[in-house]
Amino acid sequence: MTISLTRRRTAPRPPAIQPTAGAGSRQWVGYAFLCPALLLFVLFVAGPFVAAIVLSLYRWDMLTPAQFAGVGNFTAMFGDPLLYRSLANTFVFALASLVTHLVGGLLLALGVNRLKNKVLSYFVRTSLFFPFVISWAAVALLWKYVLDPSFGLVTYYLGRLGLDTPNWFNDPSWALPSIIGIDFWHTIGFTFVIMLAGLQTVPNTLLEAARLDGANAWQTLWHVTIPMMSPTIFFAAVITFLGAFQIFDPIQIITPQGGPDNSTMSVVMYLYQKGFQSFQVGYASAVSLLVFAVMMVVTLLQFWGSRRWVHQ
Amino acid sequence: MVPREPHTPPPVPRRRVLQMLGGAAALPAVGGLAACGGSGGGNGAEGSGKGTLTLAYLGDATQQAAFKALFAAFNKAHPDIKISATGIASGDWATFANTISTQLAGGKQYDIVDVATEGQLLMSSKNVLEPLDRYIAKDKAVVDAYYAGIDPHLKEWTKKYGSPDGRTYFIPGGYNSMVLYCNTEVFAKAGVELPDGAWTWEQFKAAGQKIKARTGAYLTALGDGAFPFGDIMPWLLTNGASTLDADWKQPTFNSPQAIEAATFVKSLLDAGLAPKLGGTFDAAAQLAKGKLATLGGGRWPTLDMRRLKMVDKVRIMSWPTKTGPGSPIGWDGWPILRASKNKAAAWTFLKWLMTKDASEFYAKVGGTNVPALTSVATSSAFLSAAPKGSELLPAAITHGTPIPSPKQGAAVQRAISAGWKSALTGLKPVKQSLDTANEQLKPLL
Repeated sequence: MTISLTRRRTAPRPPAIQPTAGAGSRQWVGYAFLCPALLLFVLFVAGPFVAAIVLSLYRWDMLTPAQFAGVGNFTAMFGDPLLYRSLANTFVFALASLVTHLVGGLLLALGVNRLKNKVLSYFVRTSLFFPFVISWAAVALLWKYVLDPSFGLVTYYLGRLGLDTPNWFNDPSWALPSIIGIDFWHTIGFTFVIMLAGLQTVPNTLLEAARLDGANAWQTLWHVTIPMMSPTIFFAAVITFLGAFQIFDPIQIITPQGGPDNSTMSVVMYLYQKGFQSFQVGYASAVSLLVFAVMMVVTLLQFWGSRRWVHQ
Repeated sequence: MVPREPHTPPPVPRRRVLQMLGGAAALPAVGGLAACGGSGGGNGAEGSGKGTLTLAYLGDATQQAAFKALFAAFNKAHPDIKISATGIASGDWATFANTISTQLAGGKQYDIVDVATEGQLLMSSKNVLEPLDRYIAKDKAVVDAYYAGIDPHLKEWTKKYGSPDGRTYFIPGGYNSMVLYCNTEVFAKAGVELPDGAWTWEQFKAAGQKIKARTGAYLTALGDGAFPFGDIMPWLLTNGASTLDADWKQPTFNSPQAIEAATFVKSLLDAGLAPKLGGTFDAAAQLAKGKLATLGGGRWPTLDMRRLKMVDKVRIMSWPTKTGPGSPIGWDGWPILRASKNKAAAWTFLKWLMTKDASEFYAKVGGTNVPALTSVATSSAFLSAAPKGSELLPAAITHGTPIPSPKQGAAVQRAISAGWKSALTGLKPVKQSLDTANEQLKPLL
């Protein structure tokens, strides 16, 4: 037996597969399949990224020749209070979005996963996902009507209950929370579906073993389900943060000037205003690189932190 | 011979796939901005005087119908020239100017762009427009006759604000002023008589209080300040104030008169005479339903009145005044772009626009502004099928003020709107709101 094992360990490796006639052409087929995606990536991601780096070194108003500015656009960012404000708003929005989506998505997935009635289960899944397929423009207008301070449904029914409603989008205390709420309604379906998919990959054997060992529902969730779902939760966390940090559409439609007292000014909206309204394209490019850097750092931190809690 | 195994790559862990997907999602934020490149420069050519002209203008669906009819009429008069027009429903002129600038920077080429006052200085200072002086000299008789027939202010203002280097870049077209469209049925129901001539702020507010008490209708819709031409300027100008000085070099948004105007408008809001800001109030529809007594606007609401079959129920009144009559004036400017490859045909179109036939035709088919030719603006082509009092629209040019439109129009508009909104909603005291806005305006001028 030992000999046999030793023989197996020391057995010579089979000869490496040598390229044969036709291997080159098969490689080209592979590259050909890659080409469309690569072309799109270069055209719409890598190319503009390089262009942004170049533009950030210039002062350019789009219509007259650009002037080299060195790092002037970057140093100008340090003394720009509105940039700080927009970054702070964006972080608040992104963190709120992250927490509400992860917790909300997980709870919804857990709830729906327990439904025994298949028809009801499919109905709830569809209902929860449905807002996500509506365009942001439609969602924003819909909620503008719902929360209208004079005629909105919410205003009307709360008024019937004798409650005063705030002017949701014109009160600096309420404008950003309102947008956070609308964003939650619109995009929770996506997080929910991811969580549900992750939940359904948790092996039943582990859940049954936990139950046999006497674990209650909470212990099973905390010690089995969530650890097994940790790659999914991690993915949802990364995607949610990156999406939230680039928030633009609802803010532009609902509070087009950045809200009362700039309370909803997000950093992407700010760079849009700088680039396409103030014609400071170089500065806006510098801000866009800052946005990229922030997102990259946060994402790297997430990856670094994931080693401690994401199940391998 | 060892059978050859198909080459299979090592399996990629699911976690790794999720990681890669997450990382890839970060890039688009940067790409969005930098996707814009190019320049709006380039020298075009005189062209053959035939072919297709590309043209851009601001207009919603209703306005686009009128423009299309106008272009079709031109094509009928000049069968060799076809117009390929792009209507941009950008909502306001500052946004339209930004949209066009961005398109030009992206390499889009137009022969002609209808530029309102809000974009004229911006466009003429960026070296993207063709000087028209040689064309004007060539067709001096036509142009002189046109200028002789329009209000002299239009020529003077176009030169002052649209020719930063002394050269002519625009042929002035139709214009707009601000008046009030009053639902006479609401006034009658409330037992309030509309005055025969001018009315004061106090009379206006008193009428509103009676209307509110007796019919429940709002007096007026204030807008949220996002449209300074209609939401802000009429109140300032009827109190001798403005957002900027006459040269558009200094902000005057926190003058005592401006503060008084904002305070008065806030009092209308506080008294419940106007719907709260920040909503989705459809003023034209509410006017038709009798839930709104007055609606501010230029010529464009006339199209809504026709659509809503309200023409006979509405009377146009001058804007109520505090110290004297006032109205913002904004006018179309028709340039030829420097990059145009068919300037001869473009000039043919501009010449045609200067004719009385074109002006009358556009007024009849539902043009959204006051015809530049006084003879047309006071004729039945403009006044028929329009609310009583429509003659006040062209009359307002005599006491009107050009809508302040510095190069950074959108940024200026944003500061003005935010200050006005802050004052009206009580976010900050009126004076503090306008002081803050005034400070924000200084570096933009």
